[in-house]
Amino acid sequence: MIPAHIYNDEELFGLERERVFGRSWVFVAHESEVPQPGDYVVRRVLDDSFIVARDEGGTVRAMFNMCLHRGMQVCRAEVGNASHFRCPYHGWIYRNDGKLTGLPFHREAYGGEEGFRRSEQTLLPAPSLDSYNGLIFISLDPQAPPLREYLGDFAFYLDFYTKQSPAGIELSGPQRWRIKANWKIGAENFAGDSYHTPQTHTSVVEIGLFREPKAAKRKEGALYWAQRGGGTTYKLPPGTFAERLRYVGYPDEMIERMRANWSPAQQRVIGEDGFMISAASVFPNLSLVHNWPKVTAGSDDEVLPFISLRQWQPISADETEVLSWFAVDAAAPEEFKKLSYKAYLMCFGSTGMFEQDDVENWVSITSTAAGSMARRLLLNNRMGLLHDDKPVTPPLAHFAGPGTAYVGYGEYNQRAMLALWADCLEQPVAAAARTELGRA
Amino acid sequence: MNERLMGTTRRPGTALPFSDERHLQAHQFLVDEAYLLDSQDYETWLSLLTDDIRYLMPVRVTTARGAGFDTAPGMAHFDEDRYSLGLRVARFATEHAWTEDPPSRLRHYVTNVRVFDTGDPDELVAESAVLLFRSRGDVRESALVSAGREDLLRRDASGAAESAGHWMLARRTIAVDESVLRMQNLAIFL
Repeated sequence: MIPAHIYNDEELFGLERERVFGRSWVFVAHESEVPQPGDYVVRRVLDDSFIVARDEGGTVRAMFNMCLHRGMQVCRAEVGNASHFRCPYHGWIYRNDGKLTGLPFHREAYGGEEGFRRSEQTLLPAPSLDSYNGLIFISLDPQAPPLREYLGDFAFYLDFYTKQSPAGIELSGPQRWRIKANWKIGAENFAGDSYHTPQTHTSVVEIGLFREPKAAKRKEGALYWAQRGGGTTYKLPPGTFAERLRYVGYPDEMIERMRANWSPAQQRVIGEDGFMISAASVFPNLSLVHNWPKVTAGSDDEVLPFISLRQWQPISADETEVLSWFAVDAAAPEEFKKLSYKAYLMCFGSTGMFEQDDVENWVSITSTAAGSMARRLLLNNRMGLLHDDKPVTPPLAHFAGPGTAYVGYGEYNQRAMLALWADCLEQPVAAAARTELGRA
Repeated sequence: MNERLMGTTRRPGTALPFSDERHLQAHQFLVDEAYLLDSQDYETWLSLLTDDIRYLMPVRVTTARGAGFDTAPGMAHFDEDRYSLGLRVARFATEHAWTEDPPSRLRHYVTNVRVFDTGDPDELVAESAVLLFRSRGDVRESALVSAGREDLLRRDASGAAESAGHWMLARRTIAVDESVLRMQNLAIFL
């Protein structure tokens, strides 16, 4: 049971800031967003601003966007290309690998290296940085486990979205907008809420945009949870691996690359089990979605898939900035990329016809969760469980992917997300070491 | 309007005098359109769009002065044609577009209108500023979107378009003035 006020509670948000976002791996950018030396984007982990830049040697770094001297942001743009960042306040200059290379009046103001050791200073690096399939994550915990270990078995599923060919994905965007909703609601929804689709998204079926969300179809999909993340799937009509990928609109040349690139077990999820990945979340606040709407006026069978990555960036207990990217296999044909982008815009993002109705729900929940009555209500999140905690339907005995999978409606994944969340909240974070600068 | 976003339509010379008939017709088109959008009369609005309508709202990004760009490459909020706009309008007409049920109270303030001769007597370029006020429910804060627009208006040769001078909207580029929108979604048109 879930106390309703967790979706709008300042005290809990303070704990989340420290104990969830102070230790978890948080997505910041994809390598395709900074392809050339000097390319950078500025991204945040809550209030902490980081410059994610590719240096002249090709290494991607994440540097705390705060001048070592008086704390000014050294980069106030959100995207660009620069060899150096110059602080506008006193003119300290940092190279795009973070190294301090310019300090005006070093000799006169500090007595040179004797007073301030310029030569070894850099912008503070993110405490931990790691990547998977080009997805760059940072953690504020310097002792964070390797990202691959953190992701655990969910990496198996992440490949469906982000490794359809050796070229990997390329990202466009993000669209960014603020919603008056708690960040957890979106993360939980994408993790496992297949139950909302037939109701919330009735309209997109009625207008012929999407053929799948009908209640009968949605409950035949499998819900899987695999350590640090989980998601929803659709059950596809009978067919082979290639036929099912064709059914959702992939051209044969992309299917051949998937066959060469995915493990036999990954291929069996589609080819034998018949499940196609749809929405998913990685704890704490990264979600993914893969759908296949009708992108042009034509016959009903002409659908085309798209992929979106999205981040629920907490602003406060009752507000979230959504960052929503369009992702596509870099090796995909140009015509496919064009149509896939159109498919994304119609379905998700700031104007997406699916997403519009989701956000209306989440804003309403958050607003209602603020009051005293919400502190008396325990929301029932036991879908899929009987009174004795046995599952309504047993987990799938044969499922090619790792983790646990169920067919039908159930809140297994939302419970798994909140269990990870509760584990974080129960454990204090060790005080971070302080960095003192420049003293000889 | 921000120079860096432009370039989708030709805009030769200086703006037409406000007393020019073409300015008056374009201005009336924009004001009449604003009332349609306020009242969510989207079927009528669609009738004023050409079949080859391109309706584009790029994602604005904060870049250094001199960077040469201020939109996210390859990404937009809206990048629409007749099919996708038609679907959006059809969706609002269902009984299940929850985000607009109950409907928002909308007010499009259209101002700073300038109209340009394109050299083609059947095409005009119109620039305008739009401020959208949107209020939902009773307890929620209202939301604003501010944007500049550059429109290509084309005269309907058949004379069927029910607008002053029979003008129709053939292309619209919307330069939104925020990089992070402060509105829960764009279940509206600008």
